[in-house]
Amino acid sequence: MKGRTRRSRDENSTTAVTGAHIPLKVCAGSNCRVFYHLGMRTTPSFRHGLRDGLPVFLAVAVFGVAFGVLAIQAGLAPWLAIISSVVIVSGAAQFALVGLIAAGPGPVLVATTGLALRHLPMSAKLADLIGDRSLPTRVGLAWVLTDETFGLTLRASQTGVPDLVTYKAAADVMLYSAWVSGTALGAFVGRAIEPAALGIDVLFALLFLGLAAPLIRHRRDWLVAGLAVAAALLATVVLPDAWQITGAATTAALIGTAVGD
Amino acid sequence: MTDLVLIVLVATVTFASRVVFLARRRRVPDGLMGRFLEVFPLALFVALATSGLAAPEGSLAVSPALGGAVGGVVGAVATRRSLIGTILIGAAAYWLTRYLAG
Repeated sequence: MKGRTRRSRDENSTTAVTGAHIPLKVCAGSNCRVFYHLGMRTTPSFRHGLRDGLPVFLAVAVFGVAFGVLAIQAGLAPWLAIISSVVIVSGAAQFALVGLIAAGPGPVLVATTGLALRHLPMSAKLADLIGDRSLPTRVGLAWVLTDETFGLTLRASQTGVPDLVTYKAAADVMLYSAWVSGTALGAFVGRAIEPAALGIDVLFALLFLGLAAPLIRHRRDWLVAGLAVAAALLATVVLPDAWQITGAATTAALIGTAVGD
Repeated sequence: MTDLVLIVLVATVTFASRVVFLARRRRVPDGLMGRFLEVFPLALFVALATSGLAAPEGSLAVSPALGGAVGGVVGAVATRRSLIGTILIGAAAYWLTRYLAG
């Protein structure tokens, strides 16, 4: 008897990345078996996230190389540099870590706490944007809640991307893969590369400028932007490095909140 | 304390700050908190951009990064606030300023 193969898929699945159990039905005559595998279906929102995440991927990869090089120079073993990128996923916190590691755990933890405080309003805003989702989904999104992917997601919410969770997951994949692989590259073979010579820090600043631009819509937004510039300049003079961004952003946002529309 | 323990502690602090509001199911209320969250991202991104462009080495300085800042603003206006346009025109202005400054 001539065998035949037939496939059926759950077209209603909206899962965009690994985790979707897609049935694959294989028949030989009347004898059919259904196999399940982890599917890699993509949706328009996922592809949109990958596309928008490309410039972030390129910048973060080079930044990751810079971190890998500095971590080795600070005395971290290559595998520890990579582990830090896998579990922390925060350029600012990790640069503070390698910069202060010689000073001991106290200064490192104080600095990273100051840097981490800015995640609180980002976390609250993202929770508001994605609405009612399962706990694993929300925890997964929190894992790579960085300035870059948060900014992209916020921008996507204003341009009508239908599935923000999928969009952010794609942007997270881009950022996470770039950060970890860049760190590994820098830790093992990056000594010959000099990221500062390429002006990577300036590219990041321009990325944030590009993320801020679409958020300026009302008169109040101009006020907040102006206040943030002034507060950031002032913070550079009066605050320790680790508290400058959090302090400046919080001050500008508080005044903007008080002023209202 | 070993380096690995310190890395785990930093990861814990960072992740806790990221997950604290996402772990709750409640939506952010209106009012002051809602308004604060509305403007905080803008303040954050502008502060990050200002810090990187006006103080790339950690302290205020006149540097080619300021040329990048001007280019970035021009790029944002010229390309109707396109992310790529802002980055590319800003980066071109930065490298041009750096070249001209020697």
